Amino acid sequence: MKAVRYLFGILIIFLIVFPFYWVIVSSLKPADQILKPDLFPKALTLQHYRELLDQTSYLTNLSNSVLVALGTMLCSVLIVIPAGYAIYRMKFAGRKFVSRLILATYIFPGTLLLVPVYQMMSDLHLVNSLWGLIVINVTFAAPFSVWLMQGFFDSVPVALDEAAAIDGAGRMRTLLQIILPLIGPGIATISIYSFITSWTEFAFSSVLITSEELRTLPIGLNAIMGQYTVRWGWTTAGAVLTLLPVVVFFAFVGRFFVRGLTAGAVK
Amino acid sequence: MKKGSKGWVTLVGMLAAMQVVLAACSSGGNNGTNAAAENGNTTGVNTGAAVTELTLWHMEEPPNRVARFKEIVDGFNAANPDIKITAQVQSWGDAYSKFPAAIQAGNGPDLLFTIPDYTTLIKELGVVQPVDDIIESLNAAHKFQASSLAPYQYEDHTWAVPVFGMVQALWYRGDLLSAAGIQPPTTWDELKSAAEALTSGNKYGIALPASKSMATDQVLYSFLVTAGAKNILSGDNTVTFDNEKTVEAYQMYSDLLKFSPPDSNTYQWGEPQAQFNAGTAAMAIEKGQYLSTFEAESGRPASDLGVVPMPVADGGEAGSIYYSNGIMVLTDDANKKAAITKFFEYLFEPETYGSFVNAEPGLFLPVTEDGGQADSFWNDPVISKYKSQVEVLIEAASKGALFGFTDGVSSKIGKVAGPNYIAQTLEQMTSKGLSAADAVKWGQAQIEAAVK
Repeated sequence: MKAVRYLFGILIIFLIVFPFYWVIVSSLKPADQILKPDLFPKALTLQHYRELLDQTSYLTNLSNSVLVALGTMLCSVLIVIPAGYAIYRMKFAGRKFVSRLILATYIFPGTLLLVPVYQMMSDLHLVNSLWGLIVINVTFAAPFSVWLMQGFFDSVPVALDEAAAIDGAGRMRTLLQIILPLIGPGIATISIYSFITSWTEFAFSSVLITSEELRTLPIGLNAIMGQYTVRWGWTTAGAVLTLLPVVVFFAFVGRFFVRGLTAGAVK
Repeated sequence: MKKGSKGWVTLVGMLAAMQVVLAACSSGGNNGTNAAAENGNTTGVNTGAAVTELTLWHMEEPPNRVARFKEIVDGFNAANPDIKITAQVQSWGDAYSKFPAAIQAGNGPDLLFTIPDYTTLIKELGVVQPVDDIIESLNAAHKFQASSLAPYQYEDHTWAVPVFGMVQALWYRGDLLSAAGIQPPTTWDELKSAAEALTSGNKYGIALPASKSMATDQVLYSFLVTAGAKNILSGDNTVTFDNEKTVEAYQMYSDLLKFSPPDSNTYQWGEPQAQFNAGTAAMAIEKGQYLSTFEAESGRPASDLGVVPMPVADGGEAGSIYYSNGIMVLTDDANKKAAITKFFEYLFEPETYGSFVNAEPGLFLPVTEDGGQADSFWNDPVISKYKSQVEVLIEAASKGALFGFTDGVSSKIGKVAGPNYIAQTLEQMTSKGLSAADAVKWGQAQIEAAVK
């Protein structure tokens, strides 16, 4: 039985890890080997990485993605925490309705919104601007993040709010000095979620950005693919370098994300 | 100030600071071109003189093409200080959703790259300007290939300036065919025999796309042309897809798929080329993009890359899919039109034009007589290495055809090309098991409904 479990575990790990291995190995193979299905490379080269960095806009795309992802993360946190606090800690008419309505925003498929969003952003002069991308990414990340925060707010006893109120603390002070330190993992969770939502967003970035200088990584990588040709070396090297920041980010704060997703599951 | 409000001040301060930083970042990369991009009617001022600013959108995203187009535009801007063209690369993926929205919102470009069926769609927005006068003067000086111009000429006007052409041919691995003692096929029967003979184990005779994609549409259409069934939709939008020759073409394609890798139903542009370069497939039907990566990816000498015109069916006709990419003019501003005329004059000068076309050597073919003879075209390292192959492509281009533009110009062809009905008809055979005749009947019904 144990052996079966181990075998099953190894199989699962293989299924998860192999695609990563294949992309990494392919990115290190010489051009004439990259299309051959050799499990272990006969030779290794950094040629594709050098060409990617020298001949494409990868670094520009990377800096744009970092800016947009960090901006989205920061804005989401600044919006979600007060919103979560209001919805899950304060009493007002329609509170439950609002909390359910937040998730209803996800009933619309994103592609349906492409053209109307473009026209709206155009009216706001937010087309072809990183700020415009941040705004749109926040609108996608924030609702789910607010809902995600429910478990964290619920895990902090209301008695703490009441004690703070007796001591003369206002709502804002209670949030900043009492609640905030106790929902650290929740903040990490929504930070990661909004960062990754932004990091991988393609459709709206493609539509809202018109100049090459402001393209993000998914758009830049898609451009490398080309309509008629695929530069496999650049594509695989680009995929590895695009994965890398997220992997590093997750290595440090991933455990908070997992904890956040299950917060409140057991009372 | 109350202690409780300090938090709000902090929050507002942080947001404001971040907005300032991001606004700076957002405009930093633009160098002031945003205004031009977002306003179709800008006239900037540069060093005291009035400058006519133009925005050009093209959809050639690979970095080498972007860089070459930028070089051409920069060269023009340097030679014409009173004009500033800003070239912006877009994606074909956004062409059908974003571009119309952008144009209608007043954020469209002055010049927009196009292909024939896309022109019919954008023309419906009422912004595409006739380019008869530009064509007339360019044609007098450089002589356009008739097949490159024809798809843009209808309703008594020319609606785009063709800038480069693309044609399909049969690529073959000379080393693999020689080893099997097979001559490059010229007929369908020879093609099928060769594909069968070259298929064994995990090696395949041919790699064909069979997904619902434009790649499949185009390769299939080359079979329709060589079957003698190139007219699928007439100028008055009469659908003539369902006929015996079309059925033969689909049957042939379906037969050839037996000698194509098993995952062909997922293939688009890149996969057949990958199989070909890897030596897994001995033949493929595609355009000239096979030149630039062959040696590097196959590890074989350039002489192993063979190309012949598309094989022809019994009773069919020589040819294959060919279409020119063009540039539409979307502004009616007189100053801008004068500047645009100057740009085209500059672009089509042979020493400039060869360099422009070689943004993707072999894939982009010249559409003018003197462009096809220009040293700037033939001296390119890739083109000179594959001179004989390029000559085959140029010859094939003269026999090319494009669906919707062979029997007059169909104004509704975009409604057929967009949903990939030609490819979907094949899917009826490969996925649903329909016979070629039934699948073609299905295709006829779909196309009729689309153009109604």
